[in-house]
Amino acid sequence: MDRIKILLVDDEKEFVTTLAERLELRNMNVSIAMDGEAALALVENDPPQVVILDVMMPGLSGLEVLEKIKAINSRIQVILLTGHGATKDGIRGMQLGAFDYLIKPIDIEELIKKVNEAVKSMV
Amino acid sequence: MNHLKRKEVAFFGRITAGITHEIKNVLAIIQESSGLMEDILDITEDGAFPHKDKFIKSLNRIHGQIQRGIDITSCLNRFAHSPDRSPVNLDLNDITEQMVLLVSRFARLKNVVLESNPSDPPIVIRSDPVCLEMALFESIEILLKAIDSGGKITLSPRKIQNQCVLGAGYENTVLIEEDIPAKISSTERWASLQETMAFLGGIAKVFGPAPEILMYLPESIDV
Repeated sequence: MDRIKILLVDDEKEFVTTLAERLELRNMNVSIAMDGEAALALVENDPPQVVILDVMMPGLSGLEVLEKIKAINSRIQVILLTGHGATKDGIRGMQLGAFDYLIKPIDIEELIKKVNEAVKSMV
Repeated sequence: MNHLKRKEVAFFGRITAGITHEIKNVLAIIQESSGLMEDILDITEDGAFPHKDKFIKSLNRIHGQIQRGIDITSCLNRFAHSPDRSPVNLDLNDITEQMVLLVSRFARLKNVVLESNPSDPPIVIRSDPVCLEMALFESIEILLKAIDSGGKITLSPRKIQNQCVLGAGYENTVLIEEDIPAKISSTERWASLQETMAFLGGIAKVFGPAPEILMYLPESIDV
């Protein structure tokens, strides 16, 4: 089976690199970006199947990045990461086409489950 | 509360809410880092790492503390957002559970257990969140000041003769002889609680011998 191709976007370097390692240990192919602009460049040039996207980032917000990803390629599935007390961002994101949202800090098994569901929904 | 006071409270709330997001990011990094260590241990063959069990035990402790940190910061975040809007619909069960998590440390310093006893069905009132939280905190402080060490304070929202009531009651196995309600109602803190209750359109009463403060609240207020 092909490895699931993931783009992980978060401005917290330590978070994003460690989570990427954990996902790679679970046989996923992970790219990382630390801001919206870098994420959009990767979406254009090397489209992932699933984007895991933090909502609260400096520069382009997660919701703005989500809208732009969907405009570039509507098949790419986006899972949003929100902070506690920011569930309205998650709901707004789903209205904008996000597959789902998770509250940070996340549970890795729950994230994997969502990623698999997101990939299945693309078929 | 006058306009400037409201602005001050909102300012503290905004800064605190922002900081709780930063703390959450720190917890998220600790969680992923310890999770990665766990992942690596999982793929390490038995015997290849002589202290594996001790590491797993230690990682479990870290996970427990991360969860504790998440619960506290989530609660602090909700608390920090309290000044955002007023009046709002408030579930008294949520308010009491939140205060238990935030104020338990104050009780622990006197060896007192703080817990909530939620009402079923939940009671929802339209009120000022900051002042309601302050009233609950003041009542807990009054009880802690009036009692000796040990025992339990239970926060229990309920209806008494169709009126919405928030109760803060103290229990201890030790026999309470002195007239604590009389002692409580003559303190400055009691006067302060009554001032807060007046702003909320309600009143506080204290009953004994094991003291219970009952805060009678209107179903709706206009602030």
